[in-house]
Parts: sequence; structure tokens; C-alpha cells
Amino acid sequence: MTSPTPKKVDITKPVLSKNDALAASNRARFANTGALVLNMISSPGSGKTTLLESMGRVLGGRLAVIEGDVRTQRDADRLRASGIRAEQIETEGACHLNAQRVAGALDVMRFDDDPTEILVIENVGNLVCPSSFDLGEHMKLALLSLPEGDDKVLKYPAIFGRIGVLLVTKIDLLPHLDFDVDRVVRECASLNDHFKTFRLSAKTGEGVATFCDFLLAERAKLAGG
Amino acid sequence: MHELSLAQSMLQTVEQALGGKRTLSAATVTLGLFSGVEVESLRFCFTEVAKAEGFGEPELIVNRHLPRARCRDCDAEYELTDVLMVCPTCGSIDRHIEGGYELTLDSVEVLEEEDDVPDAEKG
Repeated sequence: MTSPTPKKVDITKPVLSKNDALAASNRARFANTGALVLNMISSPGSGKTTLLESMGRVLGGRLAVIEGDVRTQRDADRLRASGIRAEQIETEGACHLNAQRVAGALDVMRFDDDPTEILVIENVGNLVCPSSFDLGEHMKLALLSLPEGDDKVLKYPAIFGRIGVLLVTKIDLLPHLDFDVDRVVRECASLNDHFKTFRLSAKTGEGVATFCDFLLAERAKLAGG
Repeated sequence: MHELSLAQSMLQTVEQALGGKRTLSAATVTLGLFSGVEVESLRFCFTEVAKAEGFGEPELIVNRHLPRARCRDCDAEYELTDVLMVCPTCGSIDRHIEGGYELTLDSVEVLEEEDDVPDAEKG
């Protein structure tokens, strides 16, 4: 019996290659229905669900949501109560959604026959872990709310470097807080060449319609291409 | 704490590439500056998941990849070693960054008789 000797085998694959393959399959389903799909990421409490309620008032039946939380159906229940189609994923401990869980939610909501124009996947509240997992979305968007502070962008480069949209939320609090919106945009631009910024308040509705118009225009571009 | 998910995914990728579970002595990954991965946590999770799933007790070797940046003010090119770093020539943070999100499984060291390694993986 010879003693084992280590043999180097090249792999050269993304660490998340299995998730990437499932994300590609989700992306094909999205292309098939023509919906614009967004992966919504932020820390807990920045106002993701409240913004979705506000977007529902503008978009009506064109909007559907997949909710991700560690526990409870609270967010999906809230959205359904405001007339928005919503499916909840409970990750039961995981700090992020993955493409497989999203595929399961698409099945349950019969997404392939669904008239949804804008599908928002609200990720688990976390600015780190969700950034690595492709769900098949067209773009990632991040919310940064005023009470969180204007120094957060460079603390979480993994997400702010990869977003297509930056939403500065709870903008109605600007008179009460020392928050420099320009600093946030400048620091995000030091990581990212292609993001659009919207300043909005889900509470007062400021900026929400403008943001929804942008999303509908982006969806129209998909159909055109 | 998504490092556990990353470790599980790496071992699935290894199993697929090798056509089955093998005893590993090491694995090498490349992590970009913005990969959002906590290296010590990934090292710990990788070895523990490998042990639990029958891959031996491999060490994880981590290569950190630093992205290139080009200053939009003075056009200088530099290697970005930290997210707070400014242009070493003019002090600006306005820049274009190439890469930084790498999260790649490069290779593994398989601890087995040579004949056991699939032909396709040799060389």
C-alpha cells in the first residue's frame, strides 16, 4: 500500500456556481414573462416593506413581491392587506435568499402565467450576505434610510458597489437629522459607475411615483430589447 | 454569516468536478476585496463542513485579490488595498474600479492514489 500523495486538481469555478446556474434558470423565466425583477437589499428597518406598500398604491396590479425573512409571514400579510400579490419565504435562520428558494416561491405563486410587470424580491434585512447571491434579478437596489447615517456606503462596499439603484429613504426626516445625501452619492460613485439615485419618503409619498416611472421605463426597455 | 452556505457550495462544486467525494488536504479560493466574505469564518466553516461530509480535513488557502482603480481626476492607475484608500497621486476618491467581487474556487489538493483521480482531471 502506497501512502497517499496530494495531487493538485484545477477547478476554477465560481464558489457559488450551483446558485449561479439556478439564478440563470430564474432569469430565463423572467425573460419569458417580460417582468422587470429587482433584488431589494438593505439593513432591517430601512423601510423596504413600507416602500412596497407605497409602490403598490402607484403600480396597483402591475406589482408583485417575494418577501424574504428569517421568520414570520408578517411582511407578506401586510402587503396582501394592501392588495399586493405577495409570497413569503421564511429562511429559518439563513441571512440571505438564494436562487433555489426564489424558484420555489415562483412556483407557488404560478409566476410563469402571471401578468406581473414589476417583481420585487425583498431580501432578508442585511447589507452583507445577500450581496453575493444572484437570484436572477435584472438589478439590485439598496435602501439607505436617513436614521442609519450617511457614513454607511463605504462600510458595506460589497452591496453598494453592485447596485443599479440607490434609494435614500425616509427623506422627510432631513430637517431633523445631520445627513449629507451628497456624501452618500459621492461615496457610492467611488465604488460604482452605474447607479441611479432616488430620494424618497414612503410615508409622504415624495419621490415614489418618480421611482415607479423609472421602473416601468426600465421594463419597457426589456421588452424593446 | 453566509460563510457556511459558501463552504457547502464549494464542496458541492468539488464533488461535481471530481466525480465524487475525495479526501482533500487543501483547497484554494480567490476572494476579491469586496467579496463580503469573512476569511476566518470561511476557513472554519470549510474545514468543518468538509469533515462532516466525508472530504477529510482540508485546509483552506485564501488568495486575496485587490482590484485596480483609475482616478477620474488625474487618470493615475493604482491598486486598491482598502475601500477608504484615496488616489495616491492626487487624493481623490472619484475613480473607476475594475473587479473586486471575485469569489472563485481555484483548485483542490486530493489525497488519493494517482489512479483514483479521473483522467479528465489529470495534467
